[in-house]
Amino acid sequence: MGKYLNKVFLIYWKDIRDEVRSFDNLLSTILFGVMLIFIFSFAFQLADLDVEQAFSAILWVSIFFSSVLAIQRSFAKEEENNVLDGLLLGTGDRGSIFLAKFLCNLTILLIFEAVITPLLWIFIGASGVKASLGLLVPALFLGSWGLAAIGTMLNGMTVQLPAARLLFPILLFPLMVPVLVAVIQCTAAAFAAPGESVAAWLYFLASFDLLFVIVPLLLFDYILEG
Amino acid sequence: MADLLEIQNLTKKIGFKNILLDVSFAAQSGDFLVVTGPNGAGKTTLLRLIAGLIKRTSGKILWNGSDYGLAHGSLGYISHKSMLYENLSVLENMVFFGRLYEKYSQKRIEELLKRVDLWLYRHEPAGVLSRGMQQRLALARTLAQEPKLVLYDEPFTGLDLDGQKLLRNILAAKRQRSIQILVTHDLNLLSGLEYGNIRLQRGRVVQERG
Repeated sequence: MGKYLNKVFLIYWKDIRDEVRSFDNLLSTILFGVMLIFIFSFAFQLADLDVEQAFSAILWVSIFFSSVLAIQRSFAKEEENNVLDGLLLGTGDRGSIFLAKFLCNLTILLIFEAVITPLLWIFIGASGVKASLGLLVPALFLGSWGLAAIGTMLNGMTVQLPAARLLFPILLFPLMVPVLVAVIQCTAAAFAAPGESVAAWLYFLASFDLLFVIVPLLLFDYILEG
Repeated sequence: MADLLEIQNLTKKIGFKNILLDVSFAAQSGDFLVVTGPNGAGKTTLLRLIAGLIKRTSGKILWNGSDYGLAHGSLGYISHKSMLYENLSVLENMVFFGRLYEKYSQKRIEELLKRVDLWLYRHEPAGVLSRGMQQRLALARTLAQEPKLVLYDEPFTGLDLDGQKLLRNILAAKRQRSIQILVTHDLNLLSGLEYGNIRLQRGRVVQERG
């Protein structure tokens, strides 16, 4: 188990260092997210909606579209020069590659959210509104977990196909619908009056997240072989 | 103790098409087998099956009598694609794969990079190296693993004359300690080396010469 986790960490750390080194990838994702929330906030001002109603929807639509940019690059470097074969020879278990890529995508999404959530807060003028951080932070974490897990699995499935860049977002959206519905409910509840329970949505989200990590871990051997 | 690789009735089908059919042979430490055959004969598929990179339809791949008994990291694979990260430097590639294969040694890395004439380029990204230099780096990375079984898929691709000579020297030197299986179209490149030949045609062994 120790060796397995060492290899997961080795691939994860290499990917994170790569992201930091070629900062343009992360920067382009953040810039895209900022542009989206700016446009949505502008539209929101014109429509004159309540902050409580609009915040979670704008936030998660922005996160979803920006994450497509971030996640669809997960296996791009491995696709060049058949590096994936080199990783497979070293790890022996394809699940460890999935786990490393998933953790890297989750880290990137959390960094991205740490930047755009406060910006959205400012842009839509929510500074006067009270929000429960105890609910907002778990909602962000669980939503990102689901997005990273499903995205990594689909990227592994599509990366070797000729129309990968087209297929990835098309396949991602239907699978993400349950996560998006649940996470928007949980995020919106962070702004609602105390006492409104979203425990059922949180359990649903956690179960869904767990499922989409366990299933690819078991099936990644077949997924990567295509 | 000498290691033994046994391939028994190995078959790979994709859909209804037989890519490999009932391929059997055995090799032990010190053996150098060269697999030849026309395009589409199943040579690369055979190597990828032995390496565990794709799944077999049926048959057995035994290492010292046990199925898939070869520890990962003890198997070296050199393809005509370098399997290197282009954005990582020469040294970073060696360190990353050394750690992944659990055979990391700074001293050994330095020694191997000097042997393949890449020590001066150790801080350059692998992506800026020429095709031949990338192939030398792939060789160094594989040798760093000290593999017991080495699979070469068209390893001479992109190598200049010096590179080809270096590879022939490595093939001769590795012979003492490993099983080596090499796929090539051009047997002239192996002149001066002793080897057994397996000829494949349409996924079947049509000739085996020890």
